Amino acid sequence: MLIILQLILFIVAAPFLSGLISKVKNNIRMRKGQSVLQPYYNLAKLFLKREVVSETASWIFKATPFVVLAAMLVAAVLIPVFILRSPLNHAGDFLALIFIFSLGRFFLVLSALDTGSSFGGMGGSREMFISSLLEPALCMAVFAVSLQFGSTDILAFSGMHAISVSSVVAALTLFLVAIAETSRIPVDNQETHLELTMIHEAMVLEYSGRSLALIELSSHIKQMILFFLIAQIIFPIGLPACLVGGSFCTSFMQIFLWVLWYLLRIIIIAIAVALVEISVAKMRLFRAADFLGLAFVLGVIASVCAILGV
Amino acid sequence: MSDFLPKQFFQFDPLSLFFLFVIFIVSLPSAIYSFSYLKGEYSPAKIRLSWFLLTIFVFSMALVVSVNNALVFLVFWEIMSLASYFLVVFDTDHEKSIQAGMIYIVMTHIGTAFLIAALMLMYKHANSFDFSAIKSACQVMPGKTKNIIFLLLLAGFGTKAGIVPLHIWLPYAHPQAPSHISSIMSGVMIKTALYGIIRFVIYILGVQAYWWGILLLILAGITCLVGIIYALMVRDIKRLLAYSSVENIGIILLGIGMAMLFQSINMPYLAVFSLIAGLYHLVNHAIFKGLLFLGAGSVYKACGTRDMEKLGGLIKNMPQTAVCFLIGAMAISALPPFNGFVSEWLILQAFFLGAVNATGGIKVFLVICAAVLALTSGLAAACFVKAFGITFLALPRSRYAEEAREVPLMMRMSMFFLSLLVIVFGLACVKIIKILVQVAGSVMSVDISSMHFSLNNFVLSPQSGKNIYFSTPLLGLMLLVLGLAGFVVYRLFGKNKAVIYKTWDCGYYKIGPRNEYTATAFSKPFRIAFGFFLLPYRKTQKIRESFYHVKSFVYETHTTPVFKLYIYEPLLELVFKVAKSVRRMQLGSIHLYLGYIFITIVLLIVFIQKF
Amino acid sequence: MYGIILFTVLVSTYLMVIAKRMPALIRGFRYQSFCLFVFTWVIASGHRQPDLFVVAGLLFVLKVSLIPYLLYQIIKKIRVSEDLGLFINPQLSLVWALVFTYLSWVFSVSLLISHETVLTSMLAIAFFIVLAGLFLMITRMSALAQIIGLLVMENGLFLLASTVSGGMPFFVEIAIFFDVFVSVVIMGLFVHRINKLFTHIDVNKLSRLKG
Repeated sequence: MLIILQLILFIVAAPFLSGLISKVKNNIRMRKGQSVLQPYYNLAKLFLKREVVSETASWIFKATPFVVLAAMLVAAVLIPVFILRSPLNHAGDFLALIFIFSLGRFFLVLSALDTGSSFGGMGGSREMFISSLLEPALCMAVFAVSLQFGSTDILAFSGMHAISVSSVVAALTLFLVAIAETSRIPVDNQETHLELTMIHEAMVLEYSGRSLALIELSSHIKQMILFFLIAQIIFPIGLPACLVGGSFCTSFMQIFLWVLWYLLRIIIIAIAVALVEISVAKMRLFRAADFLGLAFVLGVIASVCAILGV
Repeated sequence: MSDFLPKQFFQFDPLSLFFLFVIFIVSLPSAIYSFSYLKGEYSPAKIRLSWFLLTIFVFSMALVVSVNNALVFLVFWEIMSLASYFLVVFDTDHEKSIQAGMIYIVMTHIGTAFLIAALMLMYKHANSFDFSAIKSACQVMPGKTKNIIFLLLLAGFGTKAGIVPLHIWLPYAHPQAPSHISSIMSGVMIKTALYGIIRFVIYILGVQAYWWGILLLILAGITCLVGIIYALMVRDIKRLLAYSSVENIGIILLGIGMAMLFQSINMPYLAVFSLIAGLYHLVNHAIFKGLLFLGAGSVYKACGTRDMEKLGGLIKNMPQTAVCFLIGAMAISALPPFNGFVSEWLILQAFFLGAVNATGGIKVFLVICAAVLALTSGLAAACFVKAFGITFLALPRSRYAEEAREVPLMMRMSMFFLSLLVIVFGLACVKIIKILVQVAGSVMSVDISSMHFSLNNFVLSPQSGKNIYFSTPLLGLMLLVLGLAGFVVYRLFGKNKAVIYKTWDCGYYKIGPRNEYTATAFSKPFRIAFGFFLLPYRKTQKIRESFYHVKSFVYETHTTPVFKLYIYEPLLELVFKVAKSVRRMQLGSIHLYLGYIFITIVLLIVFIQKF
Repeated sequence: MYGIILFTVLVSTYLMVIAKRMPALIRGFRYQSFCLFVFTWVIASGHRQPDLFVVAGLLFVLKVSLIPYLLYQIIKKIRVSEDLGLFINPQLSLVWALVFTYLSWVFSVSLLISHETVLTSMLAIAFFIVLAGLFLMITRMSALAQIIGLLVMENGLFLLASTVSGGMPFFVEIAIFFDVFVSVVIMGLFVHRINKLFTHIDVNKLSRLKG
């Protein structure tokens, strides 16, 4: 039951994070900015709008939103949030998560190529470029965390109770990965719609209406998953005893506070992302390779630290 | 000559059976495929010839993996090489085939020369060609000899397998053969070299020093990356697949190399586990590479070209081929829940377990290897997005692609069968691993009953202490259910139908195939990022009508074939130089030739006197 | 007895080495073959082996009469200069021949365990004849000299076989004789063709054919 709750939490709360980041950014720029709830409005609007599909598109284009959404939802189900071990997260482990992400990306790029638009091709090519360089960094971060735990079980990042050098560096790696994965400055820019600079937005340029809504929702969910992972690593807290043991909780307040802290951590990460985004300039595409190289090196350092046990 | 009785030639231990399975599971659909594929391409006499060669080829491969005598092994190995050579040059109309065949046969014979040297060294110690005799002789062999034999075997089998920098023949030979042959060559033939490595190095020779494993892992890592980077660059779809075979051989060797490493540092559990991972990827690669080559062959049959820049939009004309190719591409990009995902996960897991359980610097080394594998799989995904996206999606880029028709049923049946296998091998991983445990155990001569691969029906956890849960059926089911849920929501929300309209073209209404992104353009970021290795260069030429008006613009971009330029060409030059100086001896005079003989005899007499 | 015959074989070989003209060479070959015939005959009568008599007879028929006759015929037919065309002049050739004799002596001494003089010298001479045949082939330009060189080598081998193993099996011997005969006929034809095509039989000029 809790797993459904977790799924719903991810679906419902994910757009909020994007709204929050945008709000923070705008406020720092001394602007009023859009409402925090703007992503919800966007989704609602898109769901109600009529959809336009390119005449050159094939079934890949139509199927992609569902594949991407399914991949992200599976990832959301896989990670333990409220419950340590559900039957559903027997499906995979931490390493599998990397491949699940890449499933969504694979289809997204195919759909970008499907319409025959050069924007799509450009976006797809760049997305694949960045994500393929991202993969080793992500893998190293996963390794670093798992090495501390001793197995690549999905529980690895929930099993930590103290911060170590390794976990800080791993969190930093994941942070850089998350910036690139969620197409934020300095790698990509979600706000621009100038064709030559955008990556993710160029890929989904041909989507509209409900399909676009699903894809946007998937991106929000992916973002939240990544933030959650970072939060778990850098602010490790366990589950309250009542949720683990199954016994009834004595105090409702206790649970409420725990949930509050649980979610607050994610928000802290989101604000950090917003601060990074506001304080650096977007890089040229090929500088992004250096950025990801940095992420990879950090990941290796994290792994080595984990091996050394610090 | 009592040991030349035929019944003693064969042995069917689990390893041989496994490889026989791999050989036949790819060869059969390829053979069925060739019924329709060859029809209309060649004359009936030539088709009969191709069947004859195919039969010899497949059976020689089967015999290579099932004999237990080194001499007989070599004989069948040569038959296999020759049969495949004739199949490579089968398309005699093309100049390229002859050239490819030449490169192939030269390289493969250099490899065989190394093998002969290694086997002779073994024979010298064992005084017998029998595997079991050699094996027992290897127990008492001095370490230095073992090292030499290992290096010789590595070079010999490495040439066949396509380990960088010995891979040079692979991207020439594989695309030139007819597609069903490419599928067998890429899917199976290069695996016989891996069989050789497993059989001779792990089973017979026994891993002696841990640097063997390290060396193999380093080579495998380089092979992975070089293979996939080149695969990204090419635009010939079959060459792309051939380079990707180089990459996958690297991945398999990562598993095998790790098994050797763990065996030498006395960690039998992990050794068995890594070998399982390697073997799993081996059979997977056979299946999906076979599938992809058949798919590429169908494209070639339908369009008459293998150049991706001339294809496109085939998903509309050839929907079934497209689906099969997509499944293959997804599997090779290690996407869940297909088989490539399982095996790459297993290899990564093996790296991880090694990094947890090994000691010292090996830990860090394994972590770096894992990163290499991760990078490879990322690049592989990019490569196959390109392969599928450019070939099958968007608008057709030429008349051939526009007029393509779906291929005959028999060809599609073969592809369906292999696609099915891709899915089965993805979902039934638990059962398959159970079988592979037997194979790996028998190779390593390790008692596997004491090892705990706690496998229940759907869930696999390779390490008993700390559970790792992994289940592709569950993952597949979840993907399906959640995807369907998304679809239902999508349906519920709006009943209005989608409008079909033109792709956005900035309002010019002139979008056509010329606007599309090409394969070369798609791989450009990679070309620049890996520029230090690919050394790309370009030529531009403006044709002007006047100073202000450029009439046309020619743009060419190439990458420098580093291995060819810096390793093989200097080598060839050296050979030619030596040959030229030797030619000075060849004056065409009979007297001189006789004189050479005479001088040799005299020298030999003097030699006998002296020593 | 053996010694004297062997010495004549040796001398006849030296004669061939210093021969300047074709008939002289053929004559030398005839002497050599005749000595061999005598040698075989003596062995045959000593051992009372009917096989060896037949071999000796064949030797006489083929090598002493038929082959030299054929060679003379060829010379007549092609009507070229009877000059052999020497790369190395006779005197120097003789010096070389002596060096080879010494070498083969040393060789046969090292080869044999028992230092029986007759056997050793037999082996040495046999080996020397093989070398001399090869030497003739190398240093004479004419194609006919090559044929004769080959025949000389064959003689040497015959001697070698009869010294080392007491003669080859009968049928092998017969077959070799037949082979040699046929090869002479074929090479004769060949020389004839060369002569027709190039109006000379100087093998040295064949090098112009190479690419």
